[in-house]
Amino acid sequence: MNIIDTENLTKTYSGFTAVSDLNLHIPQGTVYGFLGPNGAGKSTTMKMFLGLTSPSSGKFHINGKRYPLNRVSILKEVGSFIESPAFYGNLTGEENLEIIRKILGLPKSSVAEALELVGLTKFKDRLAKKYSLGMKQRLGLASALIGHPPILILDEPTNGLDPVGIHEIRTLIRTLPEKYNCTVLVSSHLLSEIELMADNIGILNHGHLLFEGTLEELREHAAFLGYPTDNLEETFLAMIHDDNRQRSDVG
Amino acid sequence: MNILSLTGIEFGKIRRSKILLILLTAAVILWIPSILNADLNFGMQAEGISPENNFLIQGFLGMAWFMYPASMVVSTVLLTQTERSNRGILKMLSLPVGTFKLCTAKFIVLLVLAASQILMITGIYFASAAIAGQIQQYDFMLPPLFVLKEAVYIYLSSIPMLAFFWMLSVCIKTPIFSVGIGLASIVPSVLIINTKAWWIYPMAYPFYVITTEYGKLASHLSTGEVALVPWIPLAIIFTCFCFMITCLSFGQHERR
Amino acid sequence: MNIILECKKMRRTGFYPAFIAGGILASCLPVMNMAVRADTFKSLPQPPLTILLDANWTMMAMLNVLLIVSAACIMYHTEHDDNAIQKMQTLPLRESGIFFAKFVLMTCMSIVTLAIEALAFLFCSLQWFDKYDGLYPDLLKNFGYFLILTLPAVLLALAIASACNNMWISLGIGVICVFTASMIVSTDHFILQIFPFALPFRILAGAASLTIKKFLTTIISEVMVIGLAELIFLRIRKALV
Repeated sequence: MNIIDTENLTKTYSGFTAVSDLNLHIPQGTVYGFLGPNGAGKSTTMKMFLGLTSPSSGKFHINGKRYPLNRVSILKEVGSFIESPAFYGNLTGEENLEIIRKILGLPKSSVAEALELVGLTKFKDRLAKKYSLGMKQRLGLASALIGHPPILILDEPTNGLDPVGIHEIRTLIRTLPEKYNCTVLVSSHLLSEIELMADNIGILNHGHLLFEGTLEELREHAAFLGYPTDNLEETFLAMIHDDNRQRSDVG
Repeated sequence: MNILSLTGIEFGKIRRSKILLILLTAAVILWIPSILNADLNFGMQAEGISPENNFLIQGFLGMAWFMYPASMVVSTVLLTQTERSNRGILKMLSLPVGTFKLCTAKFIVLLVLAASQILMITGIYFASAAIAGQIQQYDFMLPPLFVLKEAVYIYLSSIPMLAFFWMLSVCIKTPIFSVGIGLASIVPSVLIINTKAWWIYPMAYPFYVITTEYGKLASHLSTGEVALVPWIPLAIIFTCFCFMITCLSFGQHERR
Repeated sequence: MNIILECKKMRRTGFYPAFIAGGILASCLPVMNMAVRADTFKSLPQPPLTILLDANWTMMAMLNVLLIVSAACIMYHTEHDDNAIQKMQTLPLRESGIFFAKFVLMTCMSIVTLAIEALAFLFCSLQWFDKYDGLYPDLLKNFGYFLILTLPAVLLALAIASACNNMWISLGIGVICVFTASMIVSTDHFILQIFPFALPFRILAGAASLTIKKFLTTIISEVMVIGLAELIFLRIRKALV
């Protein structure tokens, strides 16, 4: 069963199409890797799911609910982390999470748990504006993970983390569906990273979905089209390159 | 999530903002000249107002004319900037809270900040009346209930103005314009209160109200009177209008 | 060089339109005042410009000072908001250079505002009063004086803004200063009169030349003192961070 489905989802900003006729199918209880170069439309898509921007046309539903009709009830089920972390600089990490906890109506213990999960317990009393980039990133993740929402939308969650941190977060994301029975939509511009986390992947370029399926299917698809298949990163690059060339030819 | 706990959260967000310190400093500075120039209160025979009444009214006039409205513009800057500086608003919008509720909670915070400054000013009035009394060997102290009544009067009449400032700061994204328009709108109050149609200009309400109180206390001074119609209906319509516009445009910019 | 960069930094912040709008808004005061109460003013014995200034300048100066305070806040808000100032500090230039470039830019924009206001006074004099010789030199002298009186306020507003990371704090301090100024405008104490935010309220007409000289020398020393204080402040802050 798909927990998120989109139907010809499109977003145009004056004259520029960020997302074009997107049809995504995200099965429940899996990690879905959303892949694409910078500016492919990943963040825009995720923002639409969160109601942070409205689709120009097309629709989507999340767990059977529609935006904007069920905005609040969608957001109740979704933990999110979009682009660079959003927080209140004048508050400590703990106070920031406390705000989110109260709004979500979670038990008091969930703050400490979320801090522990991302390894921020030691720094919980420091002002968020004094955090390092990696710590801000972790705070953002904690604010997404708090209360174990059934759906997680994470936009490039490993940005700005050190190798140990990247590994930690990847492992964490990988184990989430099993541990909490949740669905994760995670974006990245690195296939090598997605490869380690995702069950399914969607590849986006210039707002168009180039491929959707499992990693195995990607290999088959690539072999069929004559792309290199021994290294998936190369497959990805070749697909993007080819798509860009076709686009410029048309243009 | 009910509005009360949401308001509590909003108060949490302005921790360490030093806003209370700013409001307090403003309140203290307001009364310093009154203490230093306390002797002037004895030369008000032409107006026919008693020294102790004059002491209170002059301070309140200063507050209602500029200090209090300007402090409130500063408070609206605080409320919007805490959301924008590290994009906290984006997180709020992706949480299951209605924007209408969020906007209302913030407006309540503004109303409470306003009340707290007026309370501070009133509190410091008693202190400064005592100090001035010591210096001048004269009892400047007025009955607390009377002073509070005047303060409440100013506060209530300022609500439309607060709604207007709140609308400016939410709807106008360029801070220099929201601040500039807010501050500039205070200045003409001096002119407006001398016209018959003072009630069309909400920024002048508190100043007008306290001026009429001045007129009541000064027997030789004729000031305007507060006619409840059309003032009150207009004030309510204006407040609701500003509030609606604010709620409708709250978070719209971030949602583009 | 620095100044051009500062000009560029202010693009799309509403900085330039604000000064023009501020000038136009303040200009409306004398025009409206004359339109409504021309007869009252025309019957006064003083020269037209003196009448106009006496009737309108306090409020216009208030608007100008408020404009300066908010503009200074915006100038440093753009630096602090996305941590641009940190980047600036890592570049081979002096932070004080940025400060003084901002000062020059803001002074230039104040000239624009004052020029618009001068035009409004010119319009009022020509429209409602009889022509008299020496109107233009008078106008020029008065507004030149206003400009000089404005300098300490510009400098102090910028110094406050540079010291505060949060816009509401610099704005709050600025607003308190403007209020203080509005209370001491009518005072006779010279020490209070020279408070930087109170200076722009003063009028040339009617002042003795000795007083004017005294003010001009005070302003020069004030500018130097505030400038020096800012230099020391920036140095100390750098040493502490």
